[in-house]
Amino acid sequence: MTSRREFLKVTGAAGAGLVLGLHLEAKPRPGEAAGAEFRPNAFLALRPDGTVRITVPKTEMGQGVRTALPMALAEELDLDWSRIEVVNANPGPDFKSMQTGGSTSVSSTWTPLRKAGAAARQMLVAAAAAHWKVDAQACSTGNGFVLGPGDRKLGYGELAEAAAKLPVPKDPPLKKAGEYRLLGKRMPRFDGPAIVTGKAVFGLDVRRPGQRFAAVLRCQVPGGQPKAWDETKAKAVKGVKAVVKVPTGLAVVADSTWAAFKGREALAATATWDEGAGKEFSSTALEAQMRTALTGPADEARKAGDAEKALAAAAKVMEAEYAFPYQAHATVEPMNATVQVQAEGAELWTGTQSPNRAQSTAAAALGLKPEQLKVNVALIGGGFGRRLGTDFSTEAAQVAKALGGGPVQVVWNREDDLRHDLHHPATLHRMRAGLDAAGGLSAWAHRIAGPSILRSWMGGQKSPAMASAEANGALDIPYAIPAIKVDYAEVEAPTPLGWWRGIEIVPNVFARECFLDEVAHATGKDPLRLRLDLMGNQVIVRFGRDEADIRRLKKVLRMAAEKAGWGRKLPAGRGLGLACHAYDGRTYAAEVAEVSVEKGQLRIHKITCAVDCGFVVNPAGLEAQVEGGIAFGLSALFSQITWDKGRTVETGYHDFPVLRLADMPAIDTVIVASAEAPSGMGEPPVPLAIPAVLNAVFAATGKRIRRVPVSSDSFK
Amino acid sequence: MPDYQLTVNGRLRTVDGEADTPLLWVLRDTLGLTGTKFGCGQGVCGSCTVHLDGKAVKSCQTSLREAAGHTIVTVEGLSKDGTHPVQQAWLAEDVAQCGYCQPGMIMTAAALLKHKAHPTDGDIDEAFADHVCRCGTYPRVRKAVLRAAGGAK
Ligand code: FES
Ligand code: FES
Repeated sequence: MTSRREFLKVTGAAGAGLVLGLHLEAKPRPGEAAGAEFRPNAFLALRPDGTVRITVPKTEMGQGVRTALPMALAEELDLDWSRIEVVNANPGPDFKSMQTGGSTSVSSTWTPLRKAGAAARQMLVAAAAAHWKVDAQACSTGNGFVLGPGDRKLGYGELAEAAAKLPVPKDPPLKKAGEYRLLGKRMPRFDGPAIVTGKAVFGLDVRRPGQRFAAVLRCQVPGGQPKAWDETKAKAVKGVKAVVKVPTGLAVVADSTWAAFKGREALAATATWDEGAGKEFSSTALEAQMRTALTGPADEARKAGDAEKALAAAAKVMEAEYAFPYQAHATVEPMNATVQVQAEGAELWTGTQSPNRAQSTAAAALGLKPEQLKVNVALIGGGFGRRLGTDFSTEAAQVAKALGGGPVQVVWNREDDLRHDLHHPATLHRMRAGLDAAGGLSAWAHRIAGPSILRSWMGGQKSPAMASAEANGALDIPYAIPAIKVDYAEVEAPTPLGWWRGIEIVPNVFARECFLDEVAHATGKDPLRLRLDLMGNQVIVRFGRDEADIRRLKKVLRMAAEKAGWGRKLPAGRGLGLACHAYDGRTYAAEVAEVSVEKGQLRIHKITCAVDCGFVVNPAGLEAQVEGGIAFGLSALFSQITWDKGRTVETGYHDFPVLRLADMPAIDTVIVASAEAPSGMGEPPVPLAIPAVLNAVFAATGKRIRRVPVSSDSFK
Repeated sequence: MPDYQLTVNGRLRTVDGEADTPLLWVLRDTLGLTGTKFGCGQGVCGSCTVHLDGKAVKSCQTSLREAAGHTIVTVEGLSKDGTHPVQQAWLAEDVAQCGYCQPGMIMTAAALLKHKAHPTDGDIDEAFADHVCRCGTYPRVRKAVLRAAGGAK
């Protein structure tokens, strides 16, 4: 059993490594390379006309992998960027464990992709040198050409055939950072032109000849089943072709999406349900159970010294309860998948962050072997972890099977998407701090109570990694406090859970960074000074499997504070607040929020974010991730999913609010120049937004908010 | 079923469909114009925004009957080759992340600038009040609108 982080790390690294190992040595397959394309590895195909196809093994969901990953390969191969075509990999023998999540896309593919480019470059140079009968050392490359002594020049396309016959070098040398021409430059998104003209094809835009559209009528209570229904009215809707029973409910199949929706509505009016075990579940009852669990038995996630003893001996003990609600992914493109089974083969088109798992689960639903199902990874209209799940693609396979093959596109509407999300669960946090007579922090105890994402992800199995997964962000508290105890008390819930951008780190860092702010104010210390003092002279600190360099965290915290003008005098009603975290021990980030509260109205003016994520492949992409990550984090300050009678109260963006343009603060991103290996940036800005803002609210108003979501009542 | 006539991206189209079918699905499923996106169907995300007689409307809230006889422009028809000033500004500011909400945003921006060549920040806030971008491209949306407005000077 592994935590999500480990799971992603292992599969990510092994996936990319295997691909390279396999294909750097592989001979071109018959019929593939034969005299035409030069395909030294699974990532790259160079055509005689000089155009280049780069295959990206990660899913584009807005984080810019279809730009950043080709940049890594193109850099080493000295490609002409304007002649590149980027395609998404299909899961299969070349790509055995594709998965996009955990902010690992660049870090796990960075070396294999550069090596793939460097190996191909070496082969092209060797081919040119042989042709010219000169020493390869005398040749160089640039913009898609090999250049030789005396103005000799050959395009990669002209060399493709000869290069394909050469052995693939095993460990080609890579460029040094100072030699980069593409990496580290601001590169606009590769798909930009297709997006602004409406040509980009998302999962929902897939159209196959003869395609039907289906909407599944599901029980509002997850896991419930239809008991009885009458298909007459549904079938009377113009365009409705069939109603079929599938494991998730009743699929209404029609010749257009609208007819399927209308047919489903007619069917819904007739259906009765067996709502199943979850039908009494409510947020109120869950909260009461979580509160009990705050003082009951728990699994230890981190222990330094004896926190209980230190708390008993403390001159003063502070205690507070923090609360974070259920959240939804609410991607703008609702879940969907298209499946077609024909004599020639079966295909699935979907926006997925887990192509291999989508392949094996959908194939199983169709009664096929994984290799019998081709999976086409579409562009994703927002992932945020939701599309790591394969529930929606498996369901589409089930509908296709019930129909005898399809092609059929199963479309979720907004309400389906919110109700049947793999939600992020609620948690309560009991925070305790022991202060010695001089006001020094002598003990820290953080108890987390709530449902386990990992258990849900493991199909309901308890895992020994649960406590460390659910305490991520709490157990790796970067402050050197003599006694620390972090533990987790599971409270089971009947709703399916999943990974949500920022995962458990969002609530855990919210509670941690806000409570530390409480300690600072209670002891009359500046919150920045207290953090820097508590980080002290620590260098490398190990937290479970992760290791963090506390010096890098101190540096980003100082930079964010300085850029935001920490300590400057502000008008009444305005305040600054900060938060910092070493995300999975790899990406260091600090945020300073500037807010004002006027007549019960919170206004977030600006967030300054300093980040150190190692070498930055594409600064333009990184800044977008900071802006987007902060927007995602801030949205969660105002939104929640509430359960009542086993179902969500919320049904759309009208009651599950997502940050709008008018509420978006100015974002100032400060990037730490670094030569360290790149780490991830998709999630690290997310967890800091809420605590930075709520700490700023305290600075502005003296009001401590310990509960998310906030409403205008929170500021009264 | 009655026939309805509407002009879509400069072409007169005859659509055989139910009167209450939202224009969104006529565009996407009947006419194959998938650039206009489905985000909520509830009128609150703006992904489905198109122009009806030059005004930005939500195609999920506009029925085929209401659209009949009018001139519709979708993102595919905004320009022949992506050269509309808003599209160009969008590329220059590198606005898109996942890209899904962007056609709707672009259509709103184009309609805004047609009616107000030099919008204030407040005008922009108001024009985009009904748009959701879960990826958080908002700072760049604002910059792109201002850039496109500058270009139009
Ligand atoms: S799809 Fe029309 S407003 Fe959301
Ligand atoms: S760019 Fe992804 S929803 Fe806006």
